[in-house]
Amino acid sequence: MEGKIFVITSGKGGVGKTTATSSIGAALAMAGKRVAVVDMDIGLRNLDVVMGLENRIVFNIVDVVQGKCKLSQAAIKDRRINNLFLIPASQSDNKDVLKPEDMVRLGKRLKEEFDIVLMDCPAGIERGFENAVAAADEALVICTPEVSSVRDADRIIGLLYARSITPKLILNRINPAMTANGDMLNHEDVTDVLSIELIGLVEADDNVIVASNLGKPLVMINDSKAGQAFIRIAMRLDGHEDIPIQVPKSGSTFWRKIGSKLGFK
Amino acid sequence: MLSEIVKKLFGNKKSSSATAKNRLKFALIYDKLEISDEILKNLQHDIVEVISRYFEIDRDSLELNINKSKDSSALTFNTPILSAKKRRTS
Repeated sequence: MEGKIFVITSGKGGVGKTTATSSIGAALAMAGKRVAVVDMDIGLRNLDVVMGLENRIVFNIVDVVQGKCKLSQAAIKDRRINNLFLIPASQSDNKDVLKPEDMVRLGKRLKEEFDIVLMDCPAGIERGFENAVAAADEALVICTPEVSSVRDADRIIGLLYARSITPKLILNRINPAMTANGDMLNHEDVTDVLSIELIGLVEADDNVIVASNLGKPLVMINDSKAGQAFIRIAMRLDGHEDIPIQVPKSGSTFWRKIGSKLGFK
Repeated sequence: MLSEIVKKLFGNKKSSSATAKNRLKFALIYDKLEISDEILKNLQHDIVEVISRYFEIDRDSLELNINKSKDSSALTFNTPILSAKKRRTS
């Protein structure tokens, strides 16, 4: 059966695209899928270092497109997780070396080799975005509960609709205590404003930084709330749409309970 | 948390997330109304062409604007009409 390409995108930078790509990719591979994660941020590659595979890069995606190597030579096999492969970006070129047509062609080959391909899209709406989206069958938009991030997500959602892709939303870096206090947009606010279907809620988690320090996929760190949330997102992508979306709750429930008894939200 | 409840009891302050949601709703609407200069120029060109089929107009003194007020936006097109064209007999 032919594989499927997902693009993970956000518009705004620094909201968690790369973390989401590596986590969801690792979770899908652990579930037995043959997965390729592709770093589309030509010139500013990062997926390799987040995954701890930076020392193993020989060839990159630009080399594959330009025919300087085979696809199998550029795909780095993760030794910790079976069936997980990284195709790194080139660090010396800029985004204009690839064209959307190149990506459509490469996408076809990727779908023959892998069950699931995750494209880690660069920030912005220029050529890098065009390239990352060109071959995508489906899209995940990631944003944080901040006005700047939500606004950029709206722009990206519009651009995806123009390409006949209906994206799903990951709300990342939720602070449950602030949400309970009414000082952070909750997921209903965000889905209401963006009119988009939700696929997962991810709590802010210090383990994200620890995992990137160690170059270890987040899902391999025990008790990581964000890691668990990404595993559930991966399962939903893998056809288990019935897995309920859990809303992150803050630790101290005592005052919250009293508050709700008194009629406060 | 206690101070929060006290604040809510006595201050009746609006939560910052509610403000954020409201601001976002308006920002997104306005973002979508924004039209690039090039589109505006093309629009002007097309409108002039259509109007010129029926009226003699002064092409140099026309104005095309998008006016935004608090809850509505309007496209206005101002042009002096010199004379009506005679109906073409086809």
